Amino acid sequence: MSVLSIRAADPLRTAVLGLIWLLLALFVVFPLLMLGLRAATDNGTFDLTPALNALRQTNTLRAFFNSLLLATLVGLLGTALGFLFAFTVARARIGRTMAWLLDTATLLPLISPPFTTSIAFVFSFGPRGFISHGVLGMTNAQVYGLRSTLVAEALTYFPLAYMALRPMLTAIGGNLEEMAFSLGSSRWRAFRTVTLKLTVPGLANAFLLLFAASLADFATPLILAGNDLPVLPTEAYLQITGMFDLKGGAVLSLLLLVPALLVFLLQRRLVARRSYVTMGGKGVRATAGDSVTPNLRWVLVGGCMLVVLLIFYLYGLLAYASLVQAFGANGTLTLAHYRVVFTQGMPAIRDTLIIGAIAMPLGGLYGVLVGSLVGRVRGGQALELVSMINYALPGTVVGIGYLVAFNTPPFLMTGTAAIIIACYIFRYSPSGIRTTIALLAQIDRSIEEASTSLGAGTATTFRRVMLPLILPAFFAGLSVVFIRSMTAISATIFLVSIHWTLITVRILENMTELSLGPAAAFSIFVIAVVLVVTKGLEVLLRLLGGRSAELMMVEHE
Amino acid sequence: MVDVRLEHLSAEFTHPARGTVVAVREVDLHVQSGELLTLLGPSGCGKTTVLRIIAGFQVPTTGRVFIDNQDVTTIAANRRDIGFVFQNYALFPHLTVQENVAYGLHVRHLAAADIARNVEKVLQLVDLAGFGPRLPDELSGGQQQRVALARAVVIQPRVLLFDEPLSNLDAKLRVQMRGEIRELQRVLGITTVYVTHDQEEAMAISDRIAVMDQGRIAQCDTAEELYRRPASSFVASFLGRTNLLDATFVGRDGDCAILDIEGQRLPVRTAAALEPGAAVRAMIRPEAVGIGPPGTGLRASVLTRTYLGDKVEYVVRFASYSLHIVRFNPAENERFEPGGEVRIELPPDGLQLLPRG
Repeated sequence: MSVLSIRAADPLRTAVLGLIWLLLALFVVFPLLMLGLRAATDNGTFDLTPALNALRQTNTLRAFFNSLLLATLVGLLGTALGFLFAFTVARARIGRTMAWLLDTATLLPLISPPFTTSIAFVFSFGPRGFISHGVLGMTNAQVYGLRSTLVAEALTYFPLAYMALRPMLTAIGGNLEEMAFSLGSSRWRAFRTVTLKLTVPGLANAFLLLFAASLADFATPLILAGNDLPVLPTEAYLQITGMFDLKGGAVLSLLLLVPALLVFLLQRRLVARRSYVTMGGKGVRATAGDSVTPNLRWVLVGGCMLVVLLIFYLYGLLAYASLVQAFGANGTLTLAHYRVVFTQGMPAIRDTLIIGAIAMPLGGLYGVLVGSLVGRVRGGQALELVSMINYALPGTVVGIGYLVAFNTPPFLMTGTAAIIIACYIFRYSPSGIRTTIALLAQIDRSIEEASTSLGAGTATTFRRVMLPLILPAFFAGLSVVFIRSMTAISATIFLVSIHWTLITVRILENMTELSLGPAAAFSIFVIAVVLVVTKGLEVLLRLLGGRSAELMMVEHE
Repeated sequence: MVDVRLEHLSAEFTHPARGTVVAVREVDLHVQSGELLTLLGPSGCGKTTVLRIIAGFQVPTTGRVFIDNQDVTTIAANRRDIGFVFQNYALFPHLTVQENVAYGLHVRHLAAADIARNVEKVLQLVDLAGFGPRLPDELSGGQQQRVALARAVVIQPRVLLFDEPLSNLDAKLRVQMRGEIRELQRVLGITTVYVTHDQEEAMAISDRIAVMDQGRIAQCDTAEELYRRPASSFVASFLGRTNLLDATFVGRDGDCAILDIEGQRLPVRTAAALEPGAAVRAMIRPEAVGIGPPGTGLRASVLTRTYLGDKVEYVVRFASYSLHIVRFNPAENERFEPGGEVRIELPPDGLQLLPRG
């Protein structure tokens, strides 16, 4: 790097860096501070009494306890399912059809609106459910409670565990296990002492991911938890929308913030110690070897198939429900629900698409900018940490924070599309940031030097070499921001208004009005749009000559 | 024609754990026009740092770099007109072979037709005609190396720089590629600095070799001179295999110095003036040592015998030393088995005196 070119690039870089810090201060730090301030003051004076009173309520404590219990159980069950899938893919020598089935079954929950599994659960196990009523003939099936919430969340979030564990198990590979066999170890012993032991950090990471996802989940408990299982996100929501008690909601969301931050920091330490070398590339082809006996192979494949079938069954039920007059009562095929979607639902669709279309490029650009600055500026570590905060926090905390912070001048943004867009950009771009960082780490310094030695200056090197190489990260960022702007609700439920509303909010309204048909039709519509747009982005990236990047961070709502 | 001169070059780094690290100390070097000079040394000796300073990727702490008598010390790498071949090739993964090679010409704003012609010519030169539309990861290691080479020479640089270019290739390909690099360099006549830690590669390819040790140039000369007359134990043992014997100077006998090695007397042909009792070190190459059935002369016992087809290698115990001996194309009946006694010869002309320490 020449002294001259560094100096020439400096003002631009400094300006961009300053702007990003300013935005982070406004959209990440400021709302959090305001949230804390709102919880800790009363009429402008410091007063913790109301907050402490809120904490003392038995309902609050129950919600706190329930949230932790549910998150722990979801973490355990989801990690187990994720490990089953990852281990099967890495070791059981499955065919292409099977691989496609597993991929699709794990992709669906990641791109679906948050109510999907819950609605399907109601269709399947509710009072008029296909299994509870239709098959078993129960007339008063109880679907609401811990059991359904746990299973629905585990099914929704286990793909996170799968995506975190699969590259790890593939990288560990069969060679190490074969080595253990050759040393005279039994299969079980080799699995226990080599594979499982090496996967422990990955399992812990997967557990924390799921714990955080469940802790933050607002949609599933709202539909499935029922009255006996209050959890923090739903309680905070009801406090604010039902009782118009913003302070009570703020206190509850802060209660949620403590375990969420703890999990986030724990997870960072875990991931920091793990090497990313084997992620992102094609990975080592697993030499399946003899690590799995034929019998065990059938058990693994059978177990996965059971889960896959359950997922497909739930989505099939959803599609079916969107196409019949009244699920469970009148099975006449009809497009009436879709008509509702495209008439009454049109404003929500239009708003959601406009917001998504604006948030997507901005979020993608922001991700690539922050990601490429992190490794090259002083304070890059801090920049990365702060940029991750809104991602790590439960949506409820972020949403209430924005509600509190941008409700008054000078930052009056309540009711605008801008507040929702800002929320999406700063909450869902971290995937793009991490992917950019990881991609840049793979690009050896010598690539830049090669360009320099051939006579290219800093600007040319960036434009002709670095930019094309981080294009995949940009596209990964685009698709994550888009998927989330179509499916998110936990934060934005607090930010919608009569001017700007969202499809996910319409689904929630449908659910509360018990118009299950339109809710199902909306969900199917969202899944279709997300699939079309993400596939379109993939094609566009390929046309531009890029190869799609493996996301460096698994996503949750 | 272009030469490269380094004057009093030093480079220091601040290492987070080890504090200030001196990578290069007071290096003076003159690479002649059209010459291929190799920087040879173990890892960490500073050879790559010197190369990167010549390229302009690193700025020396003190000292100056001249290319073609022009002081380029503060000139940016992209204005030095050099060709650099990296250890990992550093091909642009998103560009085809053609585009990789054309990159430097595009930067120089050549006309499209000229670029196409030049690229085709240089691809033919490195035997890659027809590979233009491929992407780097569709090529073998040797082919990638050739693309890197083509990309570096197509811009007709004033100086070519190689940073361990063959270390990622297998042994057979290494030998072939070093021949091709040497041939190309000779044809193009570009002044070249080549970095390697492989002494055989250095000897095969270079006009001259600068052996580096701990940031300094220990000796700079032709391969033959370095091998025959190393200036220090380090150079002697780094270039080829060698036996080093610590001895005491006893007196002179004509043009020979008489040494005492643990009680055994040894004549060495040398003109060096030495004080009686001076501590010296004698060096002899394995192929210069004679071996035969026990008799009058120096006695040794055989430790190991290794048959390698065209040669046999022995390790023998002589005084407290393990001496390496190589017998090229030995007679079939010449067999000295481990455990047996032998007579060895250390001819006065094969021995050389080196400073101790």
